[in-house]
Amino acid sequence: MSEAEIRKEQEVIERSRKDPKAFGEIYETYFDRIYNYLFRQTDDEELAGDLCSQTFVNALNHLGKYEFRGFPFSAWLYKIAGNEVNKHYRKNKGKKVFSIEELKVKELVEQSDEGWDEELITQVINYMNELPTDMVQVLELRFFEDKDFKEIAFILDMTESGAKMRTYRALDKLRTQFNIKVKYNG
Amino acid sequence: MGKHEIRMRRQRLTARGTDRFKNYGAVLKQHEEEKRMKKIVRVFVFFLLIALVIILIMMVNRWEKKAGKGSGKVQKEVRIRNLEIRT
Repeated sequence: MSEAEIRKEQEVIERSRKDPKAFGEIYETYFDRIYNYLFRQTDDEELAGDLCSQTFVNALNHLGKYEFRGFPFSAWLYKIAGNEVNKHYRKNKGKKVFSIEELKVKELVEQSDEGWDEELITQVINYMNELPTDMVQVLELRFFEDKDFKEIAFILDMTESGAKMRTYRALDKLRTQFNIKVKYNG
Repeated sequence: MGKHEIRMRRQRLTARGTDRFKNYGAVLKQHEEEKRMKKIVRVFVFFLLIALVIILIMMVNRWEKKAGKGSGKVQKEVRIRNLEIRT
């Protein structure tokens, strides 16, 4: 997102503080991204829809408290969405779900089509199941949401170096455990 | 096993699939309702606090009156005893 786009977005936020109808522009821009993020963490369309609505309601309710910290407004929305998901799982005492697109995993791992078989997919799933949840969260934001480490640190309430370290550790394990090449270095 | 479950999905998420959940009117309505509720709760808490302060002031006043009456009796008794001794 360019500087000009961020500035324009901030103007919309300022207008929305006085007139909530103006927030509709933000809603239209980010709805799909936030919905997909929530869907990846729930694997349930209806639930993701409900949590997404609640995320935007909460954002509107607390717009007065929002402070610009150099990130696009979406970072704040991701943070609220993450809190909503955590609240849901705490309340229902269920296991957190990460629904990952096979294509995205294929993009991440450098493997020829012939070499990419069901067994390897199962192995990667098992490996990710064994990782600590916060590590999976960082990987998800880094590779499936294309967020930079500063933004990830803000969304997950951790330090930038902590986010980097978790990613590198997870990727290192992936490389050594399966002896596969990972396209991305972090 | 970890505290999460990884599920692999073959189909990509599409923008079309999310359209049925998109409803800014409903979000705005919920926001207005929550705002109104927040105001009501604030007003209620404000009056509750005022009522508490009033009750507290009344209790202190009563206690002061009681304490004042009590100390007056003792003084009278002392005076009467003093008179008795003189006579």
